[in-house]
Amino acid sequence: MKKTALFAALLGMTSIAGTAQADKLDDIISSGTLRCAVVLDFPPMGMRDANNVPIGFDVDYCNDLAAALGVEAEIVETPFPERIPALMSGRVDVGVASTSDTLERAKTVGFSIPYFAFEMAVTANSGTGITSYEGMKGHTVGAVAGTYEAIALEAQVKEWGEGEFRPYQTQADVFLALSQGQLDATVSTSTVAQANVQSGNYKDISVVGFAPFDTDYVALFAKRDEYGFLNYLNLFVNQQVRTGRYDELYEKWVGGEVPKLVVPNTYR
Amino acid sequence: MFDYTFQWKQAFNRLPQMLDGALVTMEIAVLSMALGIALAILLTIFRLSGSRPLMAFATTWVEIARNTPALFQIYMAHFGVASFGIHFSPFVSILIGITFNNAGYLTENFRGALKAIPDTQTRAGRSLGLTQLQSFRYIIAPQMLRISFLPMTNQMVWAILMTSLGVTVGMNSDLYGVTQDLNALTFRTFELFALAAVIFYLITKTITLGGRLIAARLFRY
Amino acid sequence: MFDTALTANDLVFLAKGAGITILVTAISVIIGTLLGILFGVIRVQLGPIWSAPLTFVLDIFRSVPLLIQLVLGNAFVGMVLQLQISGFTVACIVLSLYTSAYCAEIVRGGIDAVPEITRRAARSLGLTWGQDMRYIVLPLATRVALPSWIGLALGVMKDSALVYVVQVTELLKSTQILITRLQEPLFLLLICGAFYFVISFPLARFGGYLEKRWSND
Repeated sequence: MKKTALFAALLGMTSIAGTAQADKLDDIISSGTLRCAVVLDFPPMGMRDANNVPIGFDVDYCNDLAAALGVEAEIVETPFPERIPALMSGRVDVGVASTSDTLERAKTVGFSIPYFAFEMAVTANSGTGITSYEGMKGHTVGAVAGTYEAIALEAQVKEWGEGEFRPYQTQADVFLALSQGQLDATVSTSTVAQANVQSGNYKDISVVGFAPFDTDYVALFAKRDEYGFLNYLNLFVNQQVRTGRYDELYEKWVGGEVPKLVVPNTYR
Repeated sequence: MFDYTFQWKQAFNRLPQMLDGALVTMEIAVLSMALGIALAILLTIFRLSGSRPLMAFATTWVEIARNTPALFQIYMAHFGVASFGIHFSPFVSILIGITFNNAGYLTENFRGALKAIPDTQTRAGRSLGLTQLQSFRYIIAPQMLRISFLPMTNQMVWAILMTSLGVTVGMNSDLYGVTQDLNALTFRTFELFALAAVIFYLITKTITLGGRLIAARLFRY
Repeated sequence: MFDTALTANDLVFLAKGAGITILVTAISVIIGTLLGILFGVIRVQLGPIWSAPLTFVLDIFRSVPLLIQLVLGNAFVGMVLQLQISGFTVACIVLSLYTSAYCAEIVRGGIDAVPEITRRAARSLGLTWGQDMRYIVLPLATRVALPSWIGLALGVMKDSALVYVVQVTELLKSTQILITRLQEPLFLLLICGAFYFVISFPLARFGGYLEKRWSND
């Protein structure tokens, strides 16, 4: 018993010391499954159909990536605050979860080039008379805890010095609170706002305008030291645009003018 | 094997914010206990009142509080009652949720405490010339306090632990909420939550030890 | 209010969530109880001083919010140890330890409730420690401990609502998923609450009954 354990430990040590170690990309291909972290209460990027099966832009994107790798896709539902922990803990291989590529986060995970870009929109409860971004001043506003827009909106509320900011755990809770009148307005990505308003699930809410935040570029993410895999992801995003698949998916799930993924006057 | 690099400094830098959160956590727990005790006394009176509707009301409260998850009660206090157009801020929602839970459990404790004190004592008090109220005030109540004091400190500890559920109804000023927000900013999950755990541990230990000291002074005889 | 868009499919979905709740609870209560008995007996046997380290560790599980225990357990297993185990396993491990911490207290209380003199009498009759534990302590301590243990098991079931945080879709999480789609929060929450109540209430009553019956003789 002891001997086997010792042997196993030695074997483990040599395999760590050895140079010919398979990287993440190899692991995925040989395991035959690609596990994607996807947020499933974030329509149209991720949601569930009437049979509670995951669908959406991010779900399709994950399936495309798996197909490119020649493996099966496995959608792992992760709430927003749990995306990075799920990756760090090795429960998923890649995040296809509409994640903003902030520098603070890039200290922990590795981001691909942007695969989608969001404009931020203000959605308000009709009873409040809010008609613009500035109109939110002094009101109770909310967003999904830990997202790009939540951090920006909370800072804005602090700057205004009046009103209240409430972070909820999920996008669904935000819109539920909004339609119940617990929140007067929210800032979310415009695609999500449109999809939720059009879904007809929520009464008395409408998109009233854009929020003057910077365009929110979102990227795929993987462990930051998996260069081989990150390289693959970059090329994959590029190919999706090049082959027209990006436009196709955008038309299928969102519709309208396709957002540009390149930032003018810079590299990457 | 351990290729994770701990960055404790990032967590310690945020300690002041987390301690502010700890204050809010204690505020919620203390308020919910004070309100919970008051309501539990009321519910106990209802139970002893002999009036069927009042007794049914008290029993329903106690059984729901004791037989459903606290998270459910808090979620209900925010999103459930909002279906009737009643809106509570996150702070009030979590306060209501925990108070509801506290009152339920404390009522049950009080019942146990009352049962442990024989009827004959009230009768003895009455025969010594005390009124019903006086015999309750001077004979029964002190013993009740003594019996239910330890369960009350336990409930206080639970109240502290339950504040962590506030994030589900939009709280971010309590200790758990602050920690979660910091986690979203920096992704230093382990370090931040470990620090929060230490703070929670210190708070609950202080309560337990404080409770024991008070009990030792109050119930010396 | 009861004019609902809830389909049979959704009920199956909820039932699955309920199944996970029961499964997590059952696993954690069984493992937690076995560990709890072990820890409780160790604590009694070693005495307060030698068992202080164990007492301290178990105390942590009763002094830190379960939500944080789950998040930390998940982060530790995954980020630090880099083990690839499912959220379900993490949930079961954390909940088992959590249960064992409370169970150890109950076991200790049960053993302490057996009068020292009874046990000494047993030993002087020639019973070994094992026989004393088996024939004297076990039956007497069980009477004290079982009602509290039922309370603990139900407590664990209710607390298992928190395992959503490590991506386990249990009953309350399934309810939230359906609320997202159907937008009938009150109705769905009532179904969810009723489920917990239906399981918990009769068992709690049974525990109360045992307590009453056994405390009288």
